[in-house]
Amino acid sequence: MHDIRWRKTIPLVAGAAALALALGGCAPSGTQTTGERPLRVWSGSMTPIANNFNPFAVDTAAHLTFGAIYEPLFFFNQLSAEAPVGLIGDSFEFNDDGTVLTIRIKPDQKWSDDADLTAEDVAFSLGYGSNRDPDTVSIEATDATTVIVTYSSPKFTAASMILGATFIVPEHIWSKITDYMSETNPKPVGSGPYVLKTFTDAAYTLEANPLFREGAPDIKKVQDVGIDSNQSAEDLLKTGELDWVGQFVANPDGVTGSGRVATMNQQQDPTVIMTCADAALGCKGAQTDPAVRQALNAAMDRASISKKAFAGLAGESSPSFALLPRDEKWLSDPSLATSPQRADAAEAGRILEAAGYTKDADGFYGKDGTAIELDLFSPDGWTDYNDAAKLIAAQAAKAGIRVNARTVSEAEYWTPVSNGDFQLALYGLTQSLVADPFSNYDQYFATGATAKVGEMPAKGQNYARYSNADVDAAVAAAGATQDEGVKKEAYARIQAQIAQDLPYIPVVLNASQAFYSTAEFAGSPTADDLYANPLPYLSTASAVILTHLHPVEK
Amino acid sequence: MRFWTRRVVFYVITLWAAVSLNFLLPRMMPGDPAAIMIGKLRRASGGRPLSEATITSIHALLGTGKDTSLWDQYLVYWGRMLQGDLGVSSTRYPASVGDLIADALPWTVTLVGTATVISFVIGIVAGAWAGWRRGTWVDQLVPVTTFLQSIPYFWLALVLVAVFSVQLGLLPIFGGYGVFEYPAGPEWSLGFLGSVVVHALLPATTIVISSVGGWLLGMRNMMVQEMAEDYVLTAEAKGLRPSRIRRAYAARNAAIPSLAGFGIALGFVVAGSIVTEQVFSYPGIGKLMIQAVQGLDYALMQGVFLVITLTVLAANVLVDLLYGFIDPRVRRNG
Repeated sequence: MHDIRWRKTIPLVAGAAALALALGGCAPSGTQTTGERPLRVWSGSMTPIANNFNPFAVDTAAHLTFGAIYEPLFFFNQLSAEAPVGLIGDSFEFNDDGTVLTIRIKPDQKWSDDADLTAEDVAFSLGYGSNRDPDTVSIEATDATTVIVTYSSPKFTAASMILGATFIVPEHIWSKITDYMSETNPKPVGSGPYVLKTFTDAAYTLEANPLFREGAPDIKKVQDVGIDSNQSAEDLLKTGELDWVGQFVANPDGVTGSGRVATMNQQQDPTVIMTCADAALGCKGAQTDPAVRQALNAAMDRASISKKAFAGLAGESSPSFALLPRDEKWLSDPSLATSPQRADAAEAGRILEAAGYTKDADGFYGKDGTAIELDLFSPDGWTDYNDAAKLIAAQAAKAGIRVNARTVSEAEYWTPVSNGDFQLALYGLTQSLVADPFSNYDQYFATGATAKVGEMPAKGQNYARYSNADVDAAVAAAGATQDEGVKKEAYARIQAQIAQDLPYIPVVLNASQAFYSTAEFAGSPTADDLYANPLPYLSTASAVILTHLHPVEK
Repeated sequence: MRFWTRRVVFYVITLWAAVSLNFLLPRMMPGDPAAIMIGKLRRASGGRPLSEATITSIHALLGTGKDTSLWDQYLVYWGRMLQGDLGVSSTRYPASVGDLIADALPWTVTLVGTATVISFVIGIVAGAWAGWRRGTWVDQLVPVTTFLQSIPYFWLALVLVAVFSVQLGLLPIFGGYGVFEYPAGPEWSLGFLGSVVVHALLPATTIVISSVGGWLLGMRNMMVQEMAEDYVLTAEAKGLRPSRIRRAYAARNAAIPSLAGFGIALGFVVAGSIVTEQVFSYPGIGKLMIQAVQGLDYALMQGVFLVITLTVLAANVLVDLLYGFIDPRVRRNG
């Protein structure tokens, strides 16, 4: 098509401008048949894209490595409470105390290089590199489709990690790779629905894997491009050049107005004010007093924060840190369903006065002659966080609490956060990937997941330095059982404690907007059929969606 | 000869100072790159415990081991520099910094270089004209172009994209070439070359619009000044054609200061135009620089700064040499 166009235009080319008009008018898709048109996705990569398809490089590998090329055993849908869907795996079961995991995989699977995918590969992958759980006792492939893994401690709660986020790699290739961290794996051999076709630092293209166990998917080609600004991606969506993105758009109607693009907004990850909570671990400042945190919690006008800072797209967060309605059955007390949405300055004042604080001449609370003065910081350029911080500071001032909002460079943000050298930070927690808030409690609230101020937690992300023996005991109890009754009782104890102590003061649930072309491709998740979260940067979920899509017949 | 020796010694010392500063600056930045990377890994791996070995290897990789002194790091740094080894990028691990820069440099030099030259030529020609016809309507060029220059670049680019790319659909929205048409990357064909030119048009236009005013203003004012000189009066008295006086007499002398500025501007071409590259997702050095700073990627930061420093120095040498030839006074007093 280009060639023909060129021959016509060459005599006309008087300069760059004429050339621009000629080529610019040559729209990229028009004459191609629908079957050949690649699905174009922006999974959030910036240019230049690193040529890295190593599934162990969780942070730097190309996004479609995870799911489209390499697969885990099962797909855990973070939007539903239903049982996980088998990918390579067919079924799994734990023994009664959760230490022996038996996995059965589907028969007759192939790697994309035509080698057989057997239980040996699965056993190898579960014990390889960073996949290996430190508690592993033995991993055995007992026949071609069965793997039995033995652990020294119960692994009920790690199921989504072991089965849903461990990417299975071919033993015949990876057993020869000595340094799995620095490998870039430019020619990936996987089991997923797609194989790598071409790579450039501006975009890479995958094509359907004919050896995929369910047969090659309907979408024959997928191109993942690198884009540096959200505005460009939004423009490309509007002009129909891009088919699928997951990004924040303040005015989604502007994109979906044409009727060719649909959107979905799932509110999942909590944005919180993370406090350095425990003075015993070295935290300094008034926020180490739970009364101050409770007062802040009451002083916030979440409705206006959501509207002004998050463009009205954010959801209402819950002090129980269970995701509602997904985790409905784990919520112990309906009063913990949502944090108060309106400011209650009087209530904040009552809490502080009950704890012995008094107002000074300027109208700010303090104790023993020193006014409360808290430092709240957020990374410069995260405009929603910056705005939210300013609003919180203003709302706190109305309730007589002095909060100074400031912004820091991203580099200056992470170091104090991980070292505990802060008072208040606006922070985003990662929601549990399964319909069970366990990982939220285990990762963010357990003492084992924290460290003294000045040190980084060795495991977990309890940067709030929260430590509560009751919570620890309940987390341990919940992790060692599959009995719902026992778990509910344990969660009730945790929720009561953390909603009272508020080491993380909930602000909103972040919006996560996805936009996808319905003019070119059909089969995306709908509100009635949420088979996967339609965000292209999510591992595995993105591949599950790709296999569900098909070109629109024209 | 003494002039040249002094120049050479001066540049060697400047080079040493620049390279040493290049070593120090990133280390004076706040934040710990290892903490950033470990934090990212934590979040990316969804809470899988990071082994001690992983954490150690990240510290080793980023050269942030607390047991090596700054002086030792400095020596190692010079050793690597002299071998031309710029290290490995941590934000794009394990890509080498040299490769990243080599991939980005041609795009930046072509786009920003061409735009700078075009902007300079337009500015000088229009400035000379405006100076010649001072007091007429042509003087309006000055406020118009300086106004255009004062529009925030970011906003100007977004508006142009919204009009020419989104509304009219004439020009592409992003990239250095059509990634949708050429999924396999750059190739040697007319079609691809055309795609590159088309993709460069809008970014180049924005750069020209936002920089031409400065050249024009400077040139116009110099022109007005030169026109008042005695030699112009003499030339007029001798009955030379006005066009000859304008070009060969006044404009030629008026352009000298601008030429010096142009030399410096060329030196900064390599630094790219950070905002341009960001708005248009255009491949280039400026973007590498900003990503390196945000991700505390010391190796990449140093590599980019080094390349920029070297080109600015080289441009200075060039301007120095040119001046030495053009203007004998500089040689004698220097």
